Amino acid sequence: METLTRTVEPGLHRRTGLLDLGPMNTTEHSETLAESSPAEDGLGAAVDSAPREAELDVTLESVEDRRARFERDAMQYVDQLYSAAMRMARNPSDAEDLVQEAYTKAFSAFHQYRPGTNLKAWLYRILTNTYINLYRKRQREPLQSHADQIEDWQLARAESHTSSGLRSAEAEALDHLPDSDVKSALQAIPEEFRLAVYFADVEGFAYKEISEIMNTPIGTVMSRLHRGRKMLRDMLADYAVERGFTGAAAVTGAGKEPATASIDQEKKK
Amino acid sequence: MSDCQSLGDCDDTRIERIYEYLDGALSRQDLDDIKAHLDTCPDCAEEHDLECVIRSVVKRSCKEAAPENLKASILERIHGISTVDA
Repeated sequence: METLTRTVEPGLHRRTGLLDLGPMNTTEHSETLAESSPAEDGLGAAVDSAPREAELDVTLESVEDRRARFERDAMQYVDQLYSAAMRMARNPSDAEDLVQEAYTKAFSAFHQYRPGTNLKAWLYRILTNTYINLYRKRQREPLQSHADQIEDWQLARAESHTSSGLRSAEAEALDHLPDSDVKSALQAIPEEFRLAVYFADVEGFAYKEISEIMNTPIGTVMSRLHRGRKMLRDMLADYAVERGFTGAAAVTGAGKEPATASIDQEKKK
Repeated sequence: MSDCQSLGDCDDTRIERIYEYLDGALSRQDLDDIKAHLDTCPDCAEEHDLECVIRSVVKRSCKEAAPENLKASILERIHGISTVDA
């Protein structure tokens, strides 16, 4: 016989200390999302114009049901989040911690997630926040500062090649680069550029979604993408040359193009 | 590259347009314009193809499988948590 009353496990309502989500509280109230219109209410707003599917009242949901929903909907992204965490934390052990922490926070805040909106983007945002709060704080470095140092020489370097220096012959060379080279190239790019490129090119997130995940204006996302991709091209070309792949060698000999530099200066503003 | 004015008057702008095209960030009209341009301009088409290769190479290289035990330890952790706000 089925019973309709929900049994509450002993200790289930114990405060875990994990409910304090810091920046993630912005999922429900997105005033802190710079440049987003008042109508945009947190994560997944882009897909929210569709009729709210399944008017699930999460406040009435039992913990067990919520857990089941979380396991069914969120756990499928573990590999993807781990891959992203590897681009953040740089080593498997930290990446694992990061993903575990992010999932724990996500579950604690799952009642704030609106069913029917973009769950993957929501999880990525928690992952990114967790990374910034946990790891960057530990390193006592804000997200930006590191980049400012590297950025200048890297940009200068990238700009000493014409943007279109890589051509189809080189494309083939790049295609043969070992994964380790590609990862190193990506890793060499300053963090906020690297993550923007990763979110766009690997995960296929839209500019708006990336702006929400990284909590930055869309214009900043676009500029990070543009410059990050340029740096990545440059790095990849270097690796191809190092590997002795023909074709890519032509890239390093490419001339400087003054127009390119001034455009980027403009973007910096 | 003087025949690429339709995408922008310098390499940088041109490439940015191609990025936006690939990112699906353009309006229907712009999309059609660039598509038409790519059909007739070998330089831009090459640029487009190169960007596609880079994206696929990066995608391929960054694919990692989470360690075996990670999923289990996440589940274990969330089974000790209540999501109900006090």
